Amino acid sequence: MGTGWQGTRLVAQRGLVENVKSRSFKVVTGLLLLLSLAGVALPQILGKNGPTTYTLATAGKAPADVVATLDAAGKTADFHVKYVSRGDQDAVRQAVRDGHATAGLAGETLYASAKAGGSFPVVVAQVVVALQTSRRLAQAGLSPQQVADLQSVRPPQQVTVGRVKDEGRAGVGFGVGIVLYVAIIFAGTAIATAVAMEKSTGISEVLLATLRPSQVLLGTVLAVGTATLVQLLVLAAPLAVAVQITDNIGLPPVAAGDIALAVAWFALGFMLYAFLFAASGALINRITEVNSAILPVTMTLIIGYVLAVTVVTSDPGSGWSVAVSMFPLTAPLAMPTRWASGEVPIYQLLLAMALTAAAALLLVSLASSIYRRALLITGHRVRLREVIGGRAVS
Amino acid sequence: MGLEILNVARSFGDRVALDGVSFDVAPGVLTGLLGPNGAGKTTLLRIMLGVFNPDRGEVRYDGRPVGEETRRRWGYMPQERGLYPGMPAGDQVVHFGRLHGLSRRDATRRARGLLEELGLDDRWADRTDRLSGGMQQRLQLATALVHDPAVIVLDEPFSGLDPVAVASLSGTLQQRARGGCIVLFSSHQLDLVQDLCEDIAMVDRGRTVLQGHVATLRASSGRRQLRLHVESPNRDWLLPYADVTVVSDEADQLRLAFPPGTDPLDLLDAARSAGRVVDFGLDLPTLSQLFLAAAGRTLDPAGVR
Repeated sequence: MGTGWQGTRLVAQRGLVENVKSRSFKVVTGLLLLLSLAGVALPQILGKNGPTTYTLATAGKAPADVVATLDAAGKTADFHVKYVSRGDQDAVRQAVRDGHATAGLAGETLYASAKAGGSFPVVVAQVVVALQTSRRLAQAGLSPQQVADLQSVRPPQQVTVGRVKDEGRAGVGFGVGIVLYVAIIFAGTAIATAVAMEKSTGISEVLLATLRPSQVLLGTVLAVGTATLVQLLVLAAPLAVAVQITDNIGLPPVAAGDIALAVAWFALGFMLYAFLFAASGALINRITEVNSAILPVTMTLIIGYVLAVTVVTSDPGSGWSVAVSMFPLTAPLAMPTRWASGEVPIYQLLLAMALTAAAALLLVSLASSIYRRALLITGHRVRLREVIGGRAVS
Repeated sequence: MGLEILNVARSFGDRVALDGVSFDVAPGVLTGLLGPNGAGKTTLLRIMLGVFNPDRGEVRYDGRPVGEETRRRWGYMPQERGLYPGMPAGDQVVHFGRLHGLSRRDATRRARGLLEELGLDDRWADRTDRLSGGMQQRLQLATALVHDPAVIVLDEPFSGLDPVAVASLSGTLQQRARGGCIVLFSSHQLDLVQDLCEDIAMVDRGRTVLQGHVATLRASSGRRQLRLHVESPNRDWLLPYADVTVVSDEADQLRLAFPPGTDPLDLLDAARSAGRVVDFGLDLPTLSQLFLAAAGRTLDPAGVR
């Protein structure tokens, strides 16, 4: 392993330095940083900051008991109430109509805005009813203790039932799928281009005289993989910092385990597809053919992603979902989504991971064989038949 | 000591590239692997370097089969250039030195020395694709020599070079060979490298057809020719020599082929008795002629390629 790893490391190091120094890396990373910063800053600028504020207009000064009860409700439900007083009922009505107040209370009438307000008028109505009820119960001779007891009656707790146990976790699974898909498309093209460059410049033959094809391939994949990871970190860092500082980004709370699993799936899926892209890159004759050479791999990836999104999100427990989340080429995209639904037995998760890892290892040797044969065929696009069967090599 | 190629064979599908090639390469001299295009030279070199595996046969070094670790200490310059276009020239040489197992410090020190030796020391920081073709060729050589290999293998290193570059490259290789290295290079331009290599192995259609010391092979080939300019049209003096054939007889030059048993000085004396000999010379066969004889081919008008 010693010298074997050293060769891989040198190839990876060189590739990474060249990658990071390139103009396209700097431009893309800069754009990602801007995008991430915008993602953090824009909701802060555009969105509502802090607790919601409602305005209640009243005829005359707002009654003290209403103010006290509303403020108490505001503390538990995270809203803040501003009180404005108007001279008479008409003025209150007008204030609500013109949008100066969210709701208006005048005598027996509660004015609610037709445009906005949400649940605030209902809250005000409940407060008024509760106060009136308490007052009449007291007049009927109940002790303050009994009144408080009656007021503490609450409706049963409401639980929303869906196909996924936890929307937040499902969101993370979905996010992993998207990030993996985008990262593989970008990194895959970069890997195929790097391998194609090695072939078209004749470096492959010099390298093969010193290293095994698997060392060259693994080095190239690691170089591009690391560069891509750096870019993902650039994309994620501002978000992570913002979550730590403000805790107000609107991201679902996620268990550390889910994040670790997402990273593991990312690594597995990345390796699997990276070697497919590398092998496709070895088939080309001119560097301009890269895009058409990687088309089959890209199509597989797109189909895998569409399957993961449509099949799994519609019903994570169905037979098709299980199949899609087990098959190595679709598992990295489908399994995180399915796992996040909370309905996956642990043995299925482990099996899917083992299958994907095994497939990745198999692809390393397949890609190495293609690389060795194809890199020495020049002058035309290599057909797959030539490198897999025992066909002619010039 | 030395390198032994033993009965190496390799086919690609139905096409037989090598059909049992065997020869030895000794240290201390330049050895040429010669043959026409398509003879299997590149395939053989690639097998020696481990780029391909042979179907049968083996390559031995110092009496032992060659493994990955041994090969890592060899130097290889392929026919096609193999350099990273965007990398600075110096870094490139250092990188290949490290791939061959040198530490960064050693690789840097040796790279500086080599670039100086090859006249590229002022190009250390230049991007490789900004160098001229000749400079890239020398840089490629530097990447093959940076780790001081004991075995240096070069595929068609002289093709496309101008005479000055040929002399400079062969000088560099000679120096390595004198220092005890094994130096093997391939060429299809037999007459160009005739004076460059001391030993040769000739291959044709995947087989070895001739191998040995160039001077000995040429001298002992039995295909020597005597070139004469005799101031007399009379050829009667040739009559006693029944086994001497007239290759050509033009106004100012008579060319005679004679068998190994005949002393060319006797022929010269006979000619002098017939008339004044203005000019004369003994011509050894060219490598092309040796190849044609050994491969049993006839000369095509374009010569051996």
